[in-house]
Amino acid sequence: MNLAHLHLLLNHVPTVGFGFGIALFVASLLRRSEELQRASFVVFFGVALVTIPAYLSGNAAHFVLQNEPGVSADVIAAHQNAAMLALVPMEITGLVAWMALWRSRRWNLPAVLVSSIVTFALMARAATVGGQIRHPELLTEGALAYAPAWPRPAAMGAELVLNNPWVWPICEVLHFVGLCLLFGVVLLVNLRMLGFIDGVPLADVNRLLPWAMAGLGINIVTGMLFFLAAPDQYTQNSAFAWKVGLILLGGFSLLYPTMLDEGGPPNREGRADVTRKIIAAGSICVWIGVIFLGRFLPYIGAE
Amino acid sequence: MAPFLAQLEQSGLATWIRESGVLYGYPLILFLHTLGLSTVVGLSSAIDLRLLGVAPAIPLTSLERTFWLVWPGLALTAATGTLLFLSDAIKHASNPAFYVKLVFVGLAVATLILIRGRVFRGQQRGTFLAAASLGCWLAALTAGRLMAYISEFIS
Repeated sequence: MNLAHLHLLLNHVPTVGFGFGIALFVASLLRRSEELQRASFVVFFGVALVTIPAYLSGNAAHFVLQNEPGVSADVIAAHQNAAMLALVPMEITGLVAWMALWRSRRWNLPAVLVSSIVTFALMARAATVGGQIRHPELLTEGALAYAPAWPRPAAMGAELVLNNPWVWPICEVLHFVGLCLLFGVVLLVNLRMLGFIDGVPLADVNRLLPWAMAGLGINIVTGMLFFLAAPDQYTQNSAFAWKVGLILLGGFSLLYPTMLDEGGPPNREGRADVTRKIIAAGSICVWIGVIFLGRFLPYIGAE
Repeated sequence: MAPFLAQLEQSGLATWIRESGVLYGYPLILFLHTLGLSTVVGLSSAIDLRLLGVAPAIPLTSLERTFWLVWPGLALTAATGTLLFLSDAIKHASNPAFYVKLVFVGLAVATLILIRGRVFRGQQRGTFLAAASLGCWLAALTAGRLMAYISEFIS
């Protein structure tokens, strides 16, 4: 198995999985069920996370396919740009859904509704273009492949980094700022769940969580810019694949304190239940692993 | 100064870090440096955010405990930073960004000590110190991260 196989597996999540999320969300509105609604937000957040490796593994598939006969470079480029155009609203939907899980506000519902519809339309477009890369049977006889030449956000992102020598260093700085924000808040929240910090309800510590999400957001954007500028350097590196896998785990682990909104009296040390402690310790270890793999990326994993 | 730096660079330890080529040489030290700095800067920033009014319900006394991690983190960062400096002493010593970084790290640590000594004891509102702390860490991170690019630019 290579990452091209992984792309074939993951590329259904942003369409089918996201469609499932929308169905849940609409059902929750019709039945006025808060529980279904929270479930749909979890699905949106999860799909937004998984869409990142779906996108990244596409470049790996491109690497495998580039010299295959009958594969059009134009269609692949169009698919890549369409995928990036869909990835951005997808991540926004994930973020808005997370915020709704964190603290529900009146603007959450319309925001999720609008951004999920935009995402779904753009993702369907990306999937349509992508399907044509390996499925000539989708085209009626004599028809040309649907390969929109515009807009081209993926290509523009790569050009931004490659044509301006200062962009990469600035992104490196921001990547470290994001890392510190994320790791600091992750430490604090999980240390609270472990009972290391006491005398404060989890709900109060959770007020810091959006700053962890801000750090994660900064790092996804800057990391994406690195990837756009030098995709082969990353898709051909196994440490990078593991790093992305751990980022997914770490991202999911952020949901746990987000949804564990215990407002009662502070937990005394040792009273927190075992599951909670395991998840908290696991979350810290996973993010340390992300830092480890990020730092070791140039030294291990490269072919 | 230059002969001394050259001597440092030629020492057995510095040569090993630079040239051993094993994963527990330079890369491991770099990773531990990053782990230490993200612990210190991350927790310090979280404290600063609290002082600036995010999550005001967190009692400062409960944040005392974080210093159990901040100080070891700082020691780890300083120790690994020294090793990284040794491995390329002449290059780092001629890099202005290195001194900028040291100054801001010093200021940030001093600010953190003041925050713990005064603000945590309720002697002072921490708004100014918290903003200064965030600013110093940002400057230190920027200078530190840009060191590699600036030394390339100089040479």
